[in-house]
Amino acid sequence: MLQAREPAIAATPARRQVAIVGGGLAGFVAYLTLLHGKVVPGDITIFATEPDPAGAWRRRANAIRQREMRSESDGHCLPRSFPGLAVRAAKQQGLVPLALSICNRYHPTIEEFLAHVDELREHSGWDTRLLLRRVARARPVDGGFALDGHGVFQHVLLATGHPGLAVPAELAGDSRVVHAYDPHEYADTVAIVGAGMAAATEWLNALAAGARVTSVRRHEPDRRPLNVPRDLFSRRGLARYHATDWRERAELLERLLGPSYPPGRMWDEPLEKAAHAGRFRIAGSVDGEEQVICATGFLDAVGHDPLLTALVRDHGLETCRRRLVLDDDSTVPGLTSAERTLAVAGKPAQWAYPAADTLVGMKYAARGFLRRVIACPTR
Amino acid sequence: MSYTLRGRLESRLTAAFLPVLFACAIAIALPAWWPILLVALMIGVGVLLDVSLYDVLDYQPGWYAVPLGLIELGILMAFVRALEIHVSLAAAIGLFAGAWVVSQVLAHAGFPWLSLSYAEDGGELGRAGVAALGFVVVALGACGAIYWAKVPPTVRLAAGVHQGPLVITHSQTLVGTRGAVVRGGIVIRASHVIVRNVSVVGGENGIVVDCGDRGTHHLLLDRVKVVGAQIDGIHVRRSRVTIRDCVVDSPTGFTQGIDISFSADMGMSVIDGCTVTGGREGIVVDSALAMISHNQVTATQMRAINMNEMSMGMIEHNKVAGVLGVGIFCGDQSECMIERNHVSGTRADHPSGDLAQMGYGIESHYKSLAELSGNELVGNARPIGVFAGGEVRHAR
Repeated sequence: MLQAREPAIAATPARRQVAIVGGGLAGFVAYLTLLHGKVVPGDITIFATEPDPAGAWRRRANAIRQREMRSESDGHCLPRSFPGLAVRAAKQQGLVPLALSICNRYHPTIEEFLAHVDELREHSGWDTRLLLRRVARARPVDGGFALDGHGVFQHVLLATGHPGLAVPAELAGDSRVVHAYDPHEYADTVAIVGAGMAAATEWLNALAAGARVTSVRRHEPDRRPLNVPRDLFSRRGLARYHATDWRERAELLERLLGPSYPPGRMWDEPLEKAAHAGRFRIAGSVDGEEQVICATGFLDAVGHDPLLTALVRDHGLETCRRRLVLDDDSTVPGLTSAERTLAVAGKPAQWAYPAADTLVGMKYAARGFLRRVIACPTR
Repeated sequence: MSYTLRGRLESRLTAAFLPVLFACAIAIALPAWWPILLVALMIGVGVLLDVSLYDVLDYQPGWYAVPLGLIELGILMAFVRALEIHVSLAAAIGLFAGAWVVSQVLAHAGFPWLSLSYAEDGGELGRAGVAALGFVVVALGACGAIYWAKVPPTVRLAAGVHQGPLVITHSQTLVGTRGAVVRGGIVIRASHVIVRNVSVVGGENGIVVDCGDRGTHHLLLDRVKVVGAQIDGIHVRRSRVTIRDCVVDSPTGFTQGIDISFSADMGMSVIDGCTVTGGREGIVVDSALAMISHNQVTATQMRAINMNEMSMGMIEHNKVAGVLGVGIFCGDQSECMIERNHVSGTRADHPSGDLAQMGYGIESHYKSLAELSGNELVGNARPIGVFAGGEVRHAR
């Protein structure tokens, strides 16, 4: 087992180059991207609360018994999109994963993805750059940002992850309630609140466990392969997205980030069979079910993440409908300048990139951050 | 992949880098211009489709490359035919397929490996893309300029009678305007010559292609008409030639319509779509390789089509009617594929006393092999004859 060590940070100069606040997948992807961009590992410090970059993600995937990634071959942590996980799988399984990938039918298993993360973690020196500390404040100072008492960093990427699990207010305190991402088994009658990917996975899990399932939803889910329409992963869709004004963009995000799960028989057939047998129904509210599973995602960063909330409060950062307003490259306007960078990765960066909480979205933020680090005049 | 229009164009042109280099290398090695013309057309068709059609696709799954590639190939081949680019189907498809594979490998692996944000940038390659565009434009522009500079001059023959023999010793295109007639024949002693829309009257031979031992190649006789030549209407020696849509009318006597001889080492000649009338023999191929197709031969006095003396080739889709002696003859250790011809009304030449001239529709003579398939033999004195160790095989 790898042990995180204190990075060998020199006492001088007092101002260090790059800090990544957050040791989850977004931070991990950013670290690998910086290494790819020839940033010296010694110039990078990662602040994390646990050494395993996939730790939180692994626990959630286990909780909902997820077996396959929703993402396709591109859903990996390497800086380049090629070779992806389909190529990795092809080394053992032959050409089938590559053929499936060309048809957008390749979805790596959770085991494959986690093994890939473990390999990268071991080979990248991730653990040697980790500082197991929680950062609660990022204070802009001359030429950088002071991170609590840990020093001043010229370029800082905030990849703080999800601040907590969201449970609808009307269900708070209900003893029957468990969040989908908390470990749980299934009662005989289960209400599953939500209609996204986690909810869809839980419908099938509960049915497989023999439960009668009520899907509680306010909106009908979209059926699409990925979190957002595919063109929004590239400049083709992003150019239009970035051209929207605030109001339009906020409305667009509400629509885009509503519940969705992929189309396909693997989802539809079990639900149709169960509905036919009277074991699956759709309702507008929870009734008398023994267990209520909330597949309702995560709390918003603004208002719940201490670091981001303090930044917004202390520096008057713009927000729109609880979303942090960012520049198109995921940097924080007002606090980023030619000499220093404050950027955001993960879900709080959805203003810049709607699919920011996907691996491809994490790379988008990481590449933008790398460009700024490379372009820094002091390097 | 969700391409931007710029990304599509940059990816396409950068992927064309290797095919352009390859085409230039082949063009120099052969030497021939078709590889460069073909690659330029491929790029042109692709860019046209990118701009006009493909850009409506918000997202293009990887497998789309197959049907879209087939569409591009179809349009490319239509252009090749329309522009009369002389390239074999296999070579054209081979070059296209090679370029397609290169582009797919680059799009799926090469570009994403080389460019950190290739997919995210919608296929745009930044400065590399602009450089590739520059290279492709400069390379094709330079090739085009060289091609233009080397294109043989076109000589227009005015209407009216020109006294021959007209002797061509340099590469050129000789085009006759309506009513242009050469009296006394044309002699071609150079490669890369096209003679088009010219009528020839009289002369010992109507049109002679003969450059001595060094031979000639890349010759096209297109829509020529030869009347009244004393020996051969078209007389070809040691050359590879394409004769297309010609008319040859030979007087009675020891005359031949078209004679291609002693060219077995020069490659395959083509006689296609000609109308040959009269003479002792209509089309003669002697010690040569030839494709004889879609011709109409009538009123010959000995053999209508004669593939002789260790020749090899295809005789197909010809119409032979009302001839004396033999319709289609395969002789003297030749190998002839004779398919889908229509031979009718071949009469026996009794006065000759030659048993091999007794009105055979098809005849195989002296150790020759005639492979027959789908021929229609109607009203001939005798349908098929085999003499002196000749052989006839009926293909299934």
